[in-house]
Amino acid sequence: MIEVSGLTKTYRVPVRPPGLAGAFRSLFSREVKEVHAVSGLDFRIEAGERVGFLGPNGAGKTTTLKMLSGLLYPTAGTLKVGGFVPQERHPSFLQQITLVMGQKQQLLWDLPASESFELNRAMYGVERSEFRRTLDELVAMLRAEALLERPVRNLSLGERMKCELIAALVHRPSVLFLDEPTIGLDVEMQVQVRQFIADHNRASGATVLLTSHYMQDIAALTPRLLIIDEGKLRYDGALEALSRQVAPERRVVIRSVVPELLALGFEVQGGGMVATVPAGETNGLIQRTLALAPLVELGVEMPPLEEVIGRVFREGRPGGKR
Amino acid sequence: MSRELGAFRLEVVGALVRVSLLSAMQYRASFFAEFMVGALSAFGVAVPLLLVYARVPVIEGWNFDGALLVTGFFLLYNAFVAGLVEPNLGAVVDGVRTGELDYLLVRPVDAQLLISLRKVAPAAVWELVAGVAVVVVALARLGVPDWGTMALAAGLFVAGLAATYGLWLLVICTSFWFVRVDNLRFLLTAITDAGRWPVSVYGRGLRLLLTTLIPVALVSSFPAMALLGTLEEGHVATALGAAAGMLVLSRWVLRRALRNYASASS
Repeated sequence: MIEVSGLTKTYRVPVRPPGLAGAFRSLFSREVKEVHAVSGLDFRIEAGERVGFLGPNGAGKTTTLKMLSGLLYPTAGTLKVGGFVPQERHPSFLQQITLVMGQKQQLLWDLPASESFELNRAMYGVERSEFRRTLDELVAMLRAEALLERPVRNLSLGERMKCELIAALVHRPSVLFLDEPTIGLDVEMQVQVRQFIADHNRASGATVLLTSHYMQDIAALTPRLLIIDEGKLRYDGALEALSRQVAPERRVVIRSVVPELLALGFEVQGGGMVATVPAGETNGLIQRTLALAPLVELGVEMPPLEEVIGRVFREGRPGGKR
Repeated sequence: MSRELGAFRLEVVGALVRVSLLSAMQYRASFFAEFMVGALSAFGVAVPLLLVYARVPVIEGWNFDGALLVTGFFLLYNAFVAGLVEPNLGAVVDGVRTGELDYLLVRPVDAQLLISLRKVAPAAVWELVAGVAVVVVALARLGVPDWGTMALAAGLFVAGLAATYGLWLLVICTSFWFVRVDNLRFLLTAITDAGRWPVSVYGRGLRLLLTTLIPVALVSSFPAMALLGTLEEGHVATALGAAAGMLVLSRWVLRRALRNYASASS
């Protein structure tokens, strides 16, 4: 569905010397610096896949997404989405995709969201009866019945995101580019949006490429992970494989403090204790722990996703395919 | 070409105009305030003319009634610019700076149509009314010409609108490279103001400029001359050439500009 090879985007940005004098000078002669937002990305995404796109700020995630949706011209490399070259912006291509940006909005600010839906219906040429059906479905899935007739400016951030998602999906796209769709939402709303994206994907079979800062989004939604840093692909593979590869240890957690366990390598943390051991030694540690303190409540955890990802960024390539 | 036509649907135009009217009517105070401004601006175009012709009966072969026709067409042009061109193309400048254009460019609809029809300023209806009134009054004083002449004038006026729209689009496209071009817009407004006077009052160089590169004379003087029967050979060809040239050139530049669209980081 999506094929990317050697994808590169270089921005030319003006460099402005600091201060008033510098600003004045740059009015006449501007120095331009090249910023390599994305350099040499290669990946393939099959139809119906859900893929998480992860990376620190400025890694090139949004730039890649914008190239995939035809907004930006790549500097080099080739890309194809659903058989089309995105930057040609062929109407049949644009008809297939949708773009949701958590930081921007497509809804008409002063009007009820239903007006934006109707405008999108006309722009995508969706037949009225089909539009009605799709809309009813989406509204029910998001429990958004009460939101449609209120001016968008009077909606809360979470309510607005629900309407943004509806507006983005009324034409039943087969490829969804979601750029931080949960940003700024409270935990409850994040869960709802996540659930919706998962349900929608299951029902529609659409391909989903999602960027997020929230690891929970990635953990809950996307079995496959692309990690990008400084415009380069650092990892492409399953989330679990990454954890095993980069962080082959487990955390054994106890909910209470038992001083005898300090001898086994446990450390006091909050109201409980934690020991970190290589994955292979987990069972041994559990047995020894239960021998010393048979009544403790005990759990085994993978290292937090943030930590795993952080390691990828610190150490560069973990050896996953490029 | 068929692809472009496919992207241009009447239904979309209707939907766009509908939401832009709805948006304009959302805030009552601002809606009515804009109406006042529109009325004043229409008045402002007529007053200088009255003042000048109170002193001088004929300027460069144009008597008061002829000049009144030019003013009428200029008011109609102003209505077009204030009602459609300025609100839409002006918004493109902000759209480039803030990256708001993103959501327009992912639609399967022609980008030029979308950026040109997103907004309507209903207050411009005053200038429309004033323009029609002034043209009617002038014609009543001059005597109503035959249908053919009127059709020719209307055709020239539309060609003039097309040419000036093209010029506006060209200026706005520069924002894809320079980002902030607000001042260029104001400069353009100031220069096109020259269209309120009959074009023959200007010197040769200016006259050429106002019928080609900044074709505002096409929209005011040429239709008036058609009605007065003073069109010269080549005027119609100039008007059509300028309209076609500006439309084709501006569309081509817009396409180049979109390639250059950098969006704004989120």
